[in-house]
Amino acid sequence: MKMWQHSLVAACALLVLFGGVAYGQVSDMPSVEFPYTGNRTAVWIVAQLHTLFGALVLGAPIFIVISEWLGYRKQDLRYDRLAKEVTKVTVILFSMTALTGGLFIFVLLAAYPQFTTWFINQFYLVFTVVYPLLFISGAIVLYMYFYMWDAWKGEKKGRHIALGVLLNLIGMILMFVIDGPTSFMNTPPKTEGVSPQDFLVVATLWDKIANQTWMPLNLHRIDGNVAFGGFVTGMIAAYMYMGAKNQEERAYYDWMGFAGNLIAVGATLFQPFTGLLLAYEMCDYDFSFCPYMMADQLSMFFEMQGAMIGLMFLGMNYYVWLSLKRIEGVEKVRMTILAPITMVVFPFVMMVVMNYYWIPDPMSLAFLLPLVLVPLLGRFIPFTVSARTVIKIGFLMVLVGDAIWLTPHGFAATGAKMAAEVELPEAWNFLGTMPAKLSAMFTLVFVTVVNYALYNRAIKQGTILWGKIDFTSQFVLIFLAFASIWTMGLMGAVRSLVRKYFHTYNLIPDFTAESFTPTLSYSAWWITGISVVFFTVVSFAVIVALRPSDSKGHVPEGSPIPARAK
Amino acid sequence: MGNIIKKLSIGLVVGGALVGITRALEFPFVFQMMFFGFSIFGAAVFMLLDAPSVRTMSGAKSVIAIVVFYIVLCTVFVSGASMWPQFDPEEEKEKIAKLLAPKRAATEQGKAEELIARTKALDEQVKALEVRLKALGGDQQVAKAMPLGGAPPVVAKAATGDFMKLGEEQWQLHECYNCHKLKGEGGKKRGPELDNIGSYLTADEIKQKIFYPKSFMAEGFEKEWEKGKMPDKFKDVMEDSDAMALATWLSTFKNTSVNTPKPIKKQ
Repeated sequence: MKMWQHSLVAACALLVLFGGVAYGQVSDMPSVEFPYTGNRTAVWIVAQLHTLFGALVLGAPIFIVISEWLGYRKQDLRYDRLAKEVTKVTVILFSMTALTGGLFIFVLLAAYPQFTTWFINQFYLVFTVVYPLLFISGAIVLYMYFYMWDAWKGEKKGRHIALGVLLNLIGMILMFVIDGPTSFMNTPPKTEGVSPQDFLVVATLWDKIANQTWMPLNLHRIDGNVAFGGFVTGMIAAYMYMGAKNQEERAYYDWMGFAGNLIAVGATLFQPFTGLLLAYEMCDYDFSFCPYMMADQLSMFFEMQGAMIGLMFLGMNYYVWLSLKRIEGVEKVRMTILAPITMVVFPFVMMVVMNYYWIPDPMSLAFLLPLVLVPLLGRFIPFTVSARTVIKIGFLMVLVGDAIWLTPHGFAATGAKMAAEVELPEAWNFLGTMPAKLSAMFTLVFVTVVNYALYNRAIKQGTILWGKIDFTSQFVLIFLAFASIWTMGLMGAVRSLVRKYFHTYNLIPDFTAESFTPTLSYSAWWITGISVVFFTVVSFAVIVALRPSDSKGHVPEGSPIPARAK
Repeated sequence: MGNIIKKLSIGLVVGGALVGITRALEFPFVFQMMFFGFSIFGAAVFMLLDAPSVRTMSGAKSVIAIVVFYIVLCTVFVSGASMWPQFDPEEEKEKIAKLLAPKRAATEQGKAEELIARTKALDEQVKALEVRLKALGGDQQVAKAMPLGGAPPVVAKAATGDFMKLGEEQWQLHECYNCHKLKGEGGKKRGPELDNIGSYLTADEIKQKIFYPKSFMAEGFEKEWEKGKMPDKFKDVMEDSDAMALATWLSTFKNTSVNTPKPIKKQ
């Protein structure tokens, strides 16, 4: 697509967005009945698609600028090529973000006219001025960033990187701004002794934006978007690796997959904790959210989340395992015996600790901090084990962590329906509690950190044979991207469903017949469908953006070189 | 093949041991199967670790491989989610309809809907009367027996029973059982057990606690009280009469054999 075509699509999308907002001011519109899906699911589909595209176009630039800067600093052309290729895909998908955004407003207006009008009026300044201005600025800077790539190279590279930083800054503010109305729907501002309706009358725009879950949502999304950008980069690399015509291309896309995955894993390690912070603030706002999520209608959604995260951690560690296989000299890499010992005792110690000192109690940190000393203490212990053994023990502990995470209090859809024949014995009830889940979470993170530290040691001591990775790894990269998007969809559904029968919690009830909690199975069908649509569009964008130019004059970068030579 | 047999054997042995141990510890059957499943899954993971490398594919072969892989992923995710126990929305729909009825009635749309419903009901009554009058040849008794839009006579005893029933219904609708144990059911130690609350508080005081959670603190629940764990939303989401019905119903619970913590007046 040419620049004018991109601009046209973006302009149309903005027109739709503005039109929607203006249309929203028309009062007493009757609602439209969407056939087959129903109104709520229709909104769900466009909202989730918009969120996915939005997350990608906000997350990818963070990843892109880091990569471009690394390339400039290390004078390694591979980073620059990676950044440019991901930017090409991002530019195409930026238009999709705008289009789905416009569609979102229209579907929302058609399905819930009264509520949407009220909602737009609550954030009139945001929806009519701030958000469109930021969106337009973001579009201009993104296109400038992309089209100035070749013009601003060499000595002008710093200028180009600064433009990328500006793009990220705009993207970040954009996300912070739109997270205001999003989080407002869950936790509108309130104060003790005053009804939410009365408080809303005197609340300023800032009060509405900076509600209790606004910042936790921002943090969770920044982190999630970086991980998402990394995983999608890994997926792009996998596609290109599979379509590569020669060894040189394979070497490059092998490296690209490795780089994308590394960033994604780094960000994913923080995801459980920022997610926990968001849930903590929600429960603090209204404690009835907590049993609804963990022990009632949504409890099985969290079981599914546990299964997905468990699978993702297995996938991330399996990628390390396959990557190690293509490092020459890996058999000589060894690690202190303290590492596997700590891995084995870790979940059980954490379970006890978390039962006594609940996070964020500083005492819980007192038990976590000594972990930092493991590498230091390991130097004084003469016993070591091979890299393969450490990773295999790590896998065992990931499986144990998954098992702890997945063990429910009982096999019932709600706590109210819990019968003795599906419930944990009284003495083992602790396996279904939050301290147990936290210990599982910490175990998965700790094992993955150890494995990646080991991998880092292996690439320093050995020689990576780029392009020689086991072909299975490409499916692992695709799996990680798909699973992360699916999990995002699942948790997005949970965040929306905790509002129960309210559009905006405790303020605007949803009087329609669809204001109930859907089944997990029904939700899974839609989440899968939306993920497939998203993947199809992204795959198409990858083919459009990267296939024709894949062999046009770039410097060969991918020949096998010793990692330490970089 | 040797790799598969070896890992599968280990998986079966570990799984069997887990089933034996969990059975001895009186875990329900479903948990025994879950632990067995974990063991077999673990064996599969270790089989994968030592599996031989897959040959590099390209062209149409790799496209087909990707498509098949996506189909497998979709199937696994959807069927995996469908295997967990499913919450029946029908149970919630009835609750929500009752919870939202007063709010709906308060809206313009609700008022209009109520008016339409009442008009329809009146129309039907008129039609029924016409039919009966025709059949009887214009008897005034019919009109006496069925006063237009008239409410049935109220019996004090029945009203009290209805009021208690309404209180119990509020307990269910607002899912108080998620935090409080009553009659041996519900509660996960999030809030105090309430079987003896009637011995400590009057109906008015209980209502005050429901509307203003900080007004009383249960002994031993200082942390929960400090953190404001009991939601302060009920004065906004409950009708006054519904809260009174719930409070009155709760005040009838005076089972001294249950250790309901003593409430301390705070505000």
